[in-house]
Amino acid sequence: MELEFKGNEIIMRGKTITELDKFVFNFIELLDIDYVVSGYVAILFGRSRGTEDIDVLIEPITYNKFKELYERTVKRGYYFLNSDRPNNLYEMLEERSAVRIAKEDTIIPNIELKFTKNEFDKFSIQNRLKVVVNGEQVYISPIEIQIAYKLYLGSDKDVEDKC
Amino acid sequence: MVLDRERNLLQRLEFVRFYARWVKSVPNEVWSEQQAVIINSMVKNARNFMMSVEEYLELKNRKERLKQSRSL
Repeated sequence: MELEFKGNEIIMRGKTITELDKFVFNFIELLDIDYVVSGYVAILFGRSRGTEDIDVLIEPITYNKFKELYERTVKRGYYFLNSDRPNNLYEMLEERSAVRIAKEDTIIPNIELKFTKNEFDKFSIQNRLKVVVNGEQVYISPIEIQIAYKLYLGSDKDVEDKC
Repeated sequence: MVLDRERNLLQRLEFVRFYARWVKSVPNEVWSEQQAVIINSMVKNARNFMMSVEEYLELKNRKERLKQSRSL
């Protein structure tokens, strides 16, 4: 694996882009706010396994801002699995539940979108890393946080991801 | 039973470490081409997913509740 490190940026060239990578890159293009992707990071860096959902963490935003995001997302051929009413979805986010977003007529893969809910989440966004893969960019939470979180979760899959 | 589970996990971890060493040792084009075969198959197969949205969300909610009760 060849990676180039430049401050808070990791550059990866020559990767074969998977359908999952495309799904993530296409979705995050819709975000005009700071975010971090987590979970999928082990896969981005070579782990050979699939995943049903990609965690995307954002700072809490206003209802109007969320409604704009909702409309942009739906216009681009996605739907929200939990509800088709932006006010219900926003309530869920405010209660710190996740809302799921997939391409129309599919369920998997899906984006699990959440508001930050604790200091760790905020730290992740404030200290996010930029990964540039064949020119496409994605922000991820700091690797140390990912490892600690995987160990905290402690499932076999999470311990394997940590390796 | 418990010993089998532990042994299985240790064997899988050994393989993951072996695989990670291999990924680090070859150019991005090599590992990612193999990874793409697996991941693209999974995404293609997901189009045949049989659950309804409601069933899927219920399953995910149940899993989340279980995770939360374990962390208490």
